[in-house]
Amino acid sequence: MGKTMIEKIIRRAAGREVKVGERVWCDIDLSTARDFGGANCVLQFEEVTDKKGKVWNPDKVAFTFDLQAPSHSEKVSNNQKIIREFAKKQGITKVFDVDWGIGQHVLLENGLVKPGDVILGTDSHMNLLGGVGAFATGVGNTDIVASWFEGTNWFRVPETMKITVTGKFKKGVCMRDLLTHIVGTLGADGMFFLATEFYGETIENSSLAERITLCSMVTEMSGKVGLIMPNGEVLDWLVGRAGNEVKERVKTLAADPDAVYVKELEFNVDDLEPMTSCPDAPDNVKKVREVAGEHVDQVHIGSCSNGRFEDITAAFEVLKAGGFKVAPGMRAIVTPATREVMLQCAKAGYIQKFLEAGVIFTNPTCALCTAEHYGALPSGDVGMSTTNRNFIGKVGKGSHTYLASPMTAMATAVRGKITDPRDILG
Amino acid sequence: MEKKILRGRAWVFGDDVDTDLIYHNKYLAETDPKKMPQYSFEYYPGKENFAKEVKEGDFIVAGTNFGCGSSREHAVYCLKYAGIPVVLAESFSRIYYRNAINNGYPVLFVNGLSQAIKDGKIKDGDELEVDLEKGEIKDITNGNSFHGDAVADLEMDIMKAGGLIEYLKEKAAGK
Repeated sequence: MGKTMIEKIIRRAAGREVKVGERVWCDIDLSTARDFGGANCVLQFEEVTDKKGKVWNPDKVAFTFDLQAPSHSEKVSNNQKIIREFAKKQGITKVFDVDWGIGQHVLLENGLVKPGDVILGTDSHMNLLGGVGAFATGVGNTDIVASWFEGTNWFRVPETMKITVTGKFKKGVCMRDLLTHIVGTLGADGMFFLATEFYGETIENSSLAERITLCSMVTEMSGKVGLIMPNGEVLDWLVGRAGNEVKERVKTLAADPDAVYVKELEFNVDDLEPMTSCPDAPDNVKKVREVAGEHVDQVHIGSCSNGRFEDITAAFEVLKAGGFKVAPGMRAIVTPATREVMLQCAKAGYIQKFLEAGVIFTNPTCALCTAEHYGALPSGDVGMSTTNRNFIGKVGKGSHTYLASPMTAMATAVRGKITDPRDILG
Repeated sequence: MEKKILRGRAWVFGDDVDTDLIYHNKYLAETDPKKMPQYSFEYYPGKENFAKEVKEGDFIVAGTNFGCGSSREHAVYCLKYAGIPVVLAESFSRIYYRNAINNGYPVLFVNGLSQAIKDGKIKDGDELEVDLEKGEIKDITNGNSFHGDAVADLEMDIMKAGGLIEYLKEKAAGK
């Protein structure tokens, strides 16, 4: 009987044959924590080891500072300092401080992620790294601390779902719309505890940014990880960052043709329209044109789901088609995922154009996904964002959020009300 | 894990209770687990007073996918240190489940709870009796009973040790 990707990945990490449903101990390739959760990990590790503990391998531990970067309060500043000092004491050099950007993206850009790697992080969207075939998963501080002892942790070998996507997106429609459609179709627990493998021409021809978008929202369907083995340009890019071993991993970890899936679904994107997750749940999905005209106070483009250069380019093109002007009274915020993306935007000349159009262009950060940093919404306000969650009050008590693609978000910023980007792009 | 039969009041929630509703991102910078209960359910419409009114021994009762969303362990600590002895839900999100087990904090998958909540068969303030060993839940107030799934062996071992750290320490010591 053939094996799925996750079965092969866990077999590699466990060093033995594994069965679906079994609990196994895996070697961890990278154990990471953020400024959020990171200080909790450090304090817990120091407490349970009487400040005498050493992490199992300082080269396999990393910290990323992204949730509140740069820090906005003394408490957060102190938490970040706790991490810096711990890293120094432990000889951990992979500290990506407040100037780097969103953790998973920074790890990826820095060549620290390979297909088949088992990666832990205090971020429920770690699993977007499944976009390059890594088994990355979000965990709490205890899981991180436990992994620092001997570089292992336990996992249940999950069942796998297979999703095949065919067709080409029409102008104004993109991977985010497909994803929103999938979330709406499957629901908040539609991938409950499952791994999901994505296949089909639409996936094979997709960019890294698109794969990240797709895999980032597996969490919103309660999935464990979405997996795509790198091919084509994505493979070349990853080899350039993480080395030649990537190629070998892709060969050995791809699913067998006779692998067993618990569920197989097919989607075709030829006739897909721009989609949106309406307040207050990611799976409350409608076509953008069904809610067109609804008032929006603030638009945010960015996050680990849609903060790459291609995403910002898509938004830029809509702004350009809309005459480089956001609607009066609209607060439009664009946040690149990383410093590297920000530099790409600078080189492409986007930043000046954004600023002239009245867009706020921020440093790379996760901040706009919380109510505790800049961009929080006041009660009664309605936001539209390219982030991954619109739970009630998430970015401000009494506020509501629509989730949509960078194109729909920018079209909405240009018109001041929910707008199908095709109305602007023509 | 305690073996006795527990008795307490139910606090009833719906499906897909996310971590921002349990413990809002506004308070993520908190690093002391014992200070976390004061923020529990502050953003849950209709349950804003939970932190003030909850009593030690009360139960959380919820539908499917409890704890979906963030990886924050705060959402486990804020209930554990409020003295909630067990969270009963039809199902839990995977990260929340891990975080609970890793802290030796009992969570029970209880069949039929989501529909029972919708049908009003288990309500806020109901007096419950919970047998953790057997996974049996009785609603004393209205006579309904529910049954929880058995916990997998590894998770049970981790729970019995008191959590993942304690489990690993015992393992390292060769116990």
